[in-house]
Amino acid sequence: MNTLRRMYRGEQEFDFPKLWRPALIASLAIVLISVASLGFRGLNLGIEFEGGTSWEVTAPGQSVGDARDALDGTGAEAGKIQTVGGDSIRVRADLDDADEIAAVTAALAAFADVAENDVSVTTVGPSWGDQITEKARNALIWFFVIVAIYIAVRLEWKMAVGALVAVAHDILISVGVYSLFQFEVTPATVIAFLTIMGYSLYDTIVVYDKVREINGRLSGTGRYTYNEMMNLALNQVLMRSINTSITSMLPVASMLIVGSVFLGALTLQEFAIALLIGILVGSYSSIFVASAVVAFMKSREEANLAVQKKVKARGLDGGGTRSVAAEDVALGATPGRPTPRPTADRPRAGSAPPRPRKKKKR
Amino acid sequence: MSRQLSYAVGIVVAAIAGIVYTFAAGNEPLLGLDLQGGASVVLEPEPNPDGTTVSDDVLDQATEDTRKRAAGLGVREPEITRQGSTVLVQIPGVDDQARALELVGQTAELRFRPVLGTGPEGGSLAALASLCPLDDPENVPAEFLDSTPTPDAGADECLITLDSQEFNGVESTVAYLLGPAPLLVSGDGDARFTGVGVEDAAARFGGGWSVSLTMRGGSPGIDDFNSLAAQCVGRTGVCPTGRLGIEIDGQLESAPNVEIANFQRDQIQITGNFSEGEAKDLALVLRFGSLPVELTPQESRTVSSTLGEDALDAGIAAGIVGLVLVSIYLIAYYRMLGLVAIASLAISGALLWTMIAWLGESQGLALTLAGVTGLIVSVGVSVDSNVVYFEHLKEDVRGGRTVRSAVERAFPIAYSTIVKADVASLIAAVVLYFLTVGQVRGFALFLGLATVLDLIATYFFMGPAIRLMARSDAMTEKPGRFGIPKTEVAAS
Repeated sequence: MNTLRRMYRGEQEFDFPKLWRPALIASLAIVLISVASLGFRGLNLGIEFEGGTSWEVTAPGQSVGDARDALDGTGAEAGKIQTVGGDSIRVRADLDDADEIAAVTAALAAFADVAENDVSVTTVGPSWGDQITEKARNALIWFFVIVAIYIAVRLEWKMAVGALVAVAHDILISVGVYSLFQFEVTPATVIAFLTIMGYSLYDTIVVYDKVREINGRLSGTGRYTYNEMMNLALNQVLMRSINTSITSMLPVASMLIVGSVFLGALTLQEFAIALLIGILVGSYSSIFVASAVVAFMKSREEANLAVQKKVKARGLDGGGTRSVAAEDVALGATPGRPTPRPTADRPRAGSAPPRPRKKKKR
Repeated sequence: MSRQLSYAVGIVVAAIAGIVYTFAAGNEPLLGLDLQGGASVVLEPEPNPDGTTVSDDVLDQATEDTRKRAAGLGVREPEITRQGSTVLVQIPGVDDQARALELVGQTAELRFRPVLGTGPEGGSLAALASLCPLDDPENVPAEFLDSTPTPDAGADECLITLDSQEFNGVESTVAYLLGPAPLLVSGDGDARFTGVGVEDAAARFGGGWSVSLTMRGGSPGIDDFNSLAAQCVGRTGVCPTGRLGIEIDGQLESAPNVEIANFQRDQIQITGNFSEGEAKDLALVLRFGSLPVELTPQESRTVSSTLGEDALDAGIAAGIVGLVLVSIYLIAYYRMLGLVAIASLAISGALLWTMIAWLGESQGLALTLAGVTGLIVSVGVSVDSNVVYFEHLKEDVRGGRTVRSAVERAFPIAYSTIVKADVASLIAAVVLYFLTVGQVRGFALFLGLATVLDLIATYFFMGPAIRLMARSDAMTEKPGRFGIPKTEVAAS
């Protein structure tokens, strides 16, 4: 509870760099499992990507076995039949011919005791499915390229690398989940993944912006390693990141709740599951993956190596645990120290800390 | 100071005005098929016989043609649009969905049919029935008795069609009896006079607009035409009135008089008081008819209306529940600031509604389930911007700034972060929009729209509103009420 209260006030001081190593090991493990699953089990692609026909009809109380019997002789009995949402039957088969498709529709309508118009049918030609797949893949590649350029230009290229590593990590895990549980991959799934990527980047950029701000203020002093500066930034931005995750997850959670209440809304449910996983992983990756990568790359820069040597010479850790001195953080407050007075906006690039000022009285 | 106030008031007024306009104009969002039930099919043209891809204007004509055919089915508001190199047909709520889809995708054939006679709309053409090859010559079919159109007639049958004409400013409808498309002399006994024989058609100006035709196939082609022309000029044989009708899909495109019996290959001209637009349209129709585009369905989808309604209800419910949850959280965590965030959300929501309703009415932009999902996701994105600002605010206050100065200082910095991050969202939306089709595209559009409106609402409402609030003493005296935890806030 105390930690939560401190977090509400933004006064917590976690040591992120220490947490990076175990986090990265866990991440790597999960990513490997995902890749293995993709390799061995593959993805359950929907008809929009593979071609074929799918029928959906509301048939409460009917079983898959009954449906299969009802379809005997139509060519669809060998296809995939499943119940969805508790009272709908979904049939999927590789039929192209209009007459055959109509026959299955009629059989299903009779089986579920509804009019033929109440059976929803979707047919996708095989070459169309290929086109869709190719378009989705192109979209993904272009997205990566453009975002990488954008981040490299607005922030810096090392951050772009960190961001893309984080996004790739998120996507691999999300796709891995789909592969492990064999959820069906439809265009809605593609939408979900692209949303996840967008969200992950959003979160990462929020973190990076803070890191750059702190970096700008403190690197001039030459007394703090990049890890320490990053730790301060991460602590400061933690609540922001957690809050944005919660506010993003709440609407998605509502889709999940409503989707399971309204049994016809399967798309909402599937979409919501993908998004929830993605948002959680996306938040995690901004702090533990993207930042770690950038810190790793930056701490090898010459300026930072020099600072690390200095800090080590003074016998201090150089990791994240050392609190940044109050007078060096123009507007930061660390518990136990006197609140610094309001100071000017511009970060001090000089080597001397700002002069303590007399407390102004109104 | 007054600038802040005018921004905040301005955007509130704009939002309200938008809603009022939407109600007054009766604009409603256009629901996609997965939300109201119906049938849709994506048609892709087969390549030309010589292997080239179908040209754009031919595809436009195919789209136009499909549209006319769907209207002929008596379907309310069919949506037929060209998407890049494909034609998307959406028919909401048609009862016999399978048949509708089947009819719509058929290839249209252009035919040359001699005009056998005309009559007033609803008048009897029975007297001309003897000119037609009838199954039962003794019994005149009912259509002849009252000029009922027979758009489904084959190339070897007579066809009755109605054509509206304007004469001296007065519009009237005339019933035409068109004969079967004549057999080609040079053909193998079965081939008829269809548009396939036309190689090219172009609108020309020379003392009036006309359309010039070039027949395909060298001298056999022109021989066919000339033999027909001779009959028309002499008003004998298959062409008793001297007029030759050009028909597609049961519609009469033109019925010019034939005045010369012997044409050279590139001399055939169709005249008839055409305006420039009419001439060009006819030329396009003839070119299109010469290359009947075969449209094959690539993806067809029927959604039962009950499923569609369920999906719509679910989408709306999810949206409302999401908004409620988010509002509760915002108020619990940020108190009064949370209220401002909710108000900002309401404003961008109102603007969004206005835009979606207007786009639905004027551009035919449909809201699908994917679009609804995009909107729900955008709620999270909007609230994120507020969170970024509020957290920055709290930090600054915790760092020793007064609430008033923190509010001023934090906004431009927070807004810059918000812009950077929202641009990432927008890039995703733009990339998706231009590189994909169908559902994914709809999602991208709505997400992008909502993100842009969020940027606007944040800048013009949330920022000014909070700065205005900060000037009141209530905020500086009791920062806890605004979700800013009291630590060691310096007295102002």
